[in-house]
Amino acid sequence: MTDIGETSLVVAFFVALYAMVAAALGKALNYHDLVESARRGLLATAALVTLASAALVYAFVTRDFSIQYVYQYSSSDMSLPYTIAAWWAGQAGSLLLWAWVLSMMGVVVLWQNRRQNLTLLPVLLVVITGVLGFFLGLATFVSNPFDRLPFYAAEGEGLNPLLENMGMFFHPTTLYLGYIGFTIPFAFAMAALVTNRLDDQWVRSSRRWTLFAWLFLGLGNLFGAQWAYVELGWGGYMGWDPVENASMMPWLVGTAYLHSVMIQQRRGMLKIWNMALIITTFALSIFGTFLTRSGVLSSVHTFSVGAMGPLFVSFILIVVAVSVGLLWHRLPQLRSEAELDSLVSRESTFLFNNLLLVGAAFAIFWGTVFPLISEAVRGTKITVGPPFYNQVIPPILLALLAIMAVCPIIGWRKASRANLIRNFLRPFIASLAVPAVLLALGVTNGWAVLSSWILVFVVATVLLEFYRGLRARWRGRREDPLRGLMRLVASNKPRYGGLVAHLGFVVMGAGVVASSLFSSSVEGTLRPGDSLTIEDYQVTYGGLNQYQTASKQVVSASLNISRGGTFLQPMQAEKYYHRSHDNPVTEVGLRSTLMEDLYVILAGWGNDGSATLKILVNPLVTWIWLGGGVLLFGTVVAMWPDRRERDRLVRREQRLVESEVARVGS
Amino acid sequence: MQTPAGTVPVQQRPAASSGSAALWKGKKFIIGAAVVVLALAYLITVGIQSSAMYYLTVEEFLVEEKAAVGQRVRLGGTVAPESVQAVPGSTTLRFQVTDGQRNIPVTYTGIVPDAFRPGGDVILEGALTPEGIFNAEVLLAKCPSKYAPSL
Repeated sequence: MTDIGETSLVVAFFVALYAMVAAALGKALNYHDLVESARRGLLATAALVTLASAALVYAFVTRDFSIQYVYQYSSSDMSLPYTIAAWWAGQAGSLLLWAWVLSMMGVVVLWQNRRQNLTLLPVLLVVITGVLGFFLGLATFVSNPFDRLPFYAAEGEGLNPLLENMGMFFHPTTLYLGYIGFTIPFAFAMAALVTNRLDDQWVRSSRRWTLFAWLFLGLGNLFGAQWAYVELGWGGYMGWDPVENASMMPWLVGTAYLHSVMIQQRRGMLKIWNMALIITTFALSIFGTFLTRSGVLSSVHTFSVGAMGPLFVSFILIVVAVSVGLLWHRLPQLRSEAELDSLVSRESTFLFNNLLLVGAAFAIFWGTVFPLISEAVRGTKITVGPPFYNQVIPPILLALLAIMAVCPIIGWRKASRANLIRNFLRPFIASLAVPAVLLALGVTNGWAVLSSWILVFVVATVLLEFYRGLRARWRGRREDPLRGLMRLVASNKPRYGGLVAHLGFVVMGAGVVASSLFSSSVEGTLRPGDSLTIEDYQVTYGGLNQYQTASKQVVSASLNISRGGTFLQPMQAEKYYHRSHDNPVTEVGLRSTLMEDLYVILAGWGNDGSATLKILVNPLVTWIWLGGGVLLFGTVVAMWPDRRERDRLVRREQRLVESEVARVGS
Repeated sequence: MQTPAGTVPVQQRPAASSGSAALWKGKKFIIGAAVVVLALAYLITVGIQSSAMYYLTVEEFLVEEKAAVGQRVRLGGTVAPESVQAVPGSTTLRFQVTDGQRNIPVTYTGIVPDAFRPGGDVILEGALTPEGIFNAEVLLAKCPSKYAPSL
């Protein structure tokens, strides 16, 4: 199987290269058979990469430690799910995963566009097989997962116990789906530039891919945050680690793109800007993959430095140079079809939303690469830590939330005074109640009061919008509200899905604001029977248990949690010492409720049975994860297939073919 | 009003693009955008100024003496094997950070990340005390070298 896998990988690389060249030539010479051959080349590549991936998984499952990668990342005592997840535990396997996912997406793109976008297809093929070729080349020649171990080993080194967490299944995979997914809208953008089909066809055709990539990148970030939250020493749910930043940047720019294309679809404006955004998003996705896979920036995630760095940098430079060159070439055709009328308009809010999102991405980028820049300019590394981001990002996010309240319902072109009063007066006044209540309750933190107001303002405008839609349906058809709601959403899925996604961000925002402003902690060394008090919780230490399991030694502090004198539950805060690894794994004691998390860390213990504990109460953390769920739901609604949109694209394709036939015929 | 298809361009705005009204129309967006960009630039500059810190290796710290006593810096190095001591009954840890030749004694009080281990890489944030001990307030441990084994 190893030989089969290794051979498939090499062959896949060459087939991908062939397909890229064939598609390019087929396009240039207008030779359809070559394009068809390239199409089959992509299918063949996909089959070969699937075979190689299957061979690697097979090697993991059959414990074939003669393969270095399997030896490094697995051992016989690992459960089946983790054995399979070890596929992406290291660099070589991650590259293979990248290539496999992209090849699968390529197949789906071919299938979706078997009857439409035929003129775009050759360029789509060039981009997809080109990117595929790059990653296959890395996996074949630089970091090959099938390399043999130079000596005999009866047992593997095993997965790093820090990776043995549910996060290992969800975080890397979702993040990769996001990173890789942006290849497809990028490919459509390039196809539009090359073929000079610069209407919104490429935007519409890749809209669901964009949402897909954006959604998974967002979820990947959230799963990462969740993992870092329960895994000690990864800095809470957001540590502003360079690699976390790397996945935030394409997401932010992708969010800007997602919004600004609406202006292009509606008003034919911002065409150049949209191109620039999708190019940036794709380049940042590759950059993010690169940061994860290299050691240029010190980070908790880094794998290793190697030949990978220069190759990635060259690839990104080529991508940017070619795409910007194409964009430059088409600038005259990308002129705006309309112009901005008023600062108080939908277009204007989109504009500022874009500026802020790109600005946030730039701030993060600047903070992340600042050490490199300062080293190049002044010879010393100067770093900025979490305080930088905590100072810069929250104001930007609050401004974005404020725009989120206004943007979806303000009038196009120039919002009339009547429009403003009708849409905003009541939500504005209603939402002021919340900061008023907070102030009355004695909350003096300005950030808390301000953000609570903005968050509630968003909710109020969104709810008013739903209410208006429902009321109109009720007046017109006497539909019962529940069915009316379903039909209302179905009548414009992108819009109402988007509004639900906005609510998701509000829920998340509330969690972030509360947990970052109002977290409290206490620390102490306890003897059995002692207790610590935090907020209204009482944590009583029962004693220390130490025991062995098959793979590790466990030190467990048993605790009893009560609140206001009422017993709530027992809890354990533990440390694991795996036999095969140096570092311990801390299992925090966690009691999550809708209102707050009680988070207990076993920091140390003495020979006399005492234990040192650190206890935190983090309010509303659960809301961050719940908000992610709402976001997921809203985005799925927005992505849901729409028959009218499909028919529209099919009609367009027919018209295009007819006009082409007429042109050739005349 | 949805444009039926991209093939039909949206109606061109009437050619009001002459005269001062149109000029002002374009300008106010540039001014609005400039205000936002300047505000962002201000946020970033102030943020950098208030949180910038030298990142020094053990060698730069000891030999080139790039940091003064009491100056807050980030210090990167390896935890000297056999040097880690926990102070009982507290969360204080004493160890030495090394570049293989020179050592700096460190004290750190707080939660120790799991990835911390003797022989592993750490990034410390803190300052040197007059007694020559690096008082770390933040301890970041890089994931163990197991992530990238060298064979």
